Amino acid sequence: MNNPHDEMLEAVALLALGTLPQSEAEAAASHAAGCAECRAEYASLRTAADAIGYAAELDVATFDAASAARLKARVMDAVRSTATAPSAVVRPLRSAPSIAAQAARTSWLAYGAAAAALIVAVVSSANYVVLRKQSDADAAALAQARAFETQVARVVAPGSRYYEVPGGEVVASSGRVFLALRDLPAPGAGKVYQAWTLHEGAKAVAPSVTFLPDSNGVTLIELPESTAGLAAVAVSVEPEGGSTAPTTKPTFVRKLS
Amino acid sequence: MARVRERDVAAFEAVYDSYYRLVHGIALRMLGEAMAAEDLTQAVFLKLWSSPEAFREGNFGAWISRVARNRALDVLRGRALRPEGEIPSDVPIDGALDETVFALIDGERVRAALATLPDEQRRPIELGFFGGITHEEIARRTATPLGTVKTRIRSGLQKLRIALEATVAR
Repeated sequence: MNNPHDEMLEAVALLALGTLPQSEAEAAASHAAGCAECRAEYASLRTAADAIGYAAELDVATFDAASAARLKARVMDAVRSTATAPSAVVRPLRSAPSIAAQAARTSWLAYGAAAAALIVAVVSSANYVVLRKQSDADAAALAQARAFETQVARVVAPGSRYYEVPGGEVVASSGRVFLALRDLPAPGAGKVYQAWTLHEGAKAVAPSVTFLPDSNGVTLIELPESTAGLAAVAVSVEPEGGSTAPTTKPTFVRKLS
Repeated sequence: MARVRERDVAAFEAVYDSYYRLVHGIALRMLGEAMAAEDLTQAVFLKLWSSPEAFREGNFGAWISRVARNRALDVLRGRALRPEGEIPSDVPIDGALDETVFALIDGERVRAALATLPDEQRRPIELGFFGGITHEEIARRTATPLGTVKTRIRSGLQKLRIALEATVAR
């Protein structure tokens, strides 16, 4: 497809689906604003894209009724409280996470302690332990903290295998691969870290996710690839958006054997 | 929604009962963690309660599914880099989104419509929507040329639109 306008029609389709990077999204939206054909295409495809979420709608027959009731009670309690006294809600939502105890069971103590400290920092900044106000922002921060907590629990789970790399470990747990890195420097402006995977028998590495360490230099991510047939994992610094093949000397290459 | 804006708890509860399976389902599909999905579902509905004016017009189900997706992307961005691929709100659209489609839509019908797409079109669409990754990353992960991914996504969305219309017309 070489026609520039046809390419723009494809861009507005990606815009409708939400898969354009911000800069390209702005350009496509700007074009669509002044182009009737692209506007009509966007409107048509956005209807389809907006419907996709329904594919994940939970089935009444299989949804856990007890969990649903507990969740509804949490939400409605918060709503009723704020309906009468908007700023007076002071109550714990959940108990604090106990990641440190889990981490101590493993030889992965150093990272576990760092992870636990990070979680405490995250949840403290979100007023997690005792939520002063059960706002949507608190709950979003809580969701992020819990997702992180769950990942930590998975990497310290019994049966996990640890492959030491500079500043951390590659972890294979329950068929999944995690990068648990605690001292990763910022890669520099316009740069990201990118993971690479090498499968048995492959002649070249395949691109995986891009990522950045947090402000503490800590990274804990799950790679989309499973451990099946995986021979090695590598990380390198790449331009934003990632590369199709490594363009810099790898930060590390770790065989999983 | 007008009653929710007036702080009517019973009206909010009715909205919750109608849409929690959609919001929770999206959260669960994208985050893959039951407790994180519950927290995100709570966050979405409390946002609706605290800022009902955020929903201005159009189909409510489409809107709240976007909110759920964007919230889930925020969480996922904490794990690895994700695109800033949210739909800008300033694209003028000629006419409202197709209410006849959304009035009759449900999970079963959308799953059936998606199932009519060839795998090569359905997969990048689902990766883009639920995985929250850019088309460039889809191309890398699926080892498919970038131009092919773009074409498949557009063609797939066009077919999905037609399939949805056919599904709800039955």
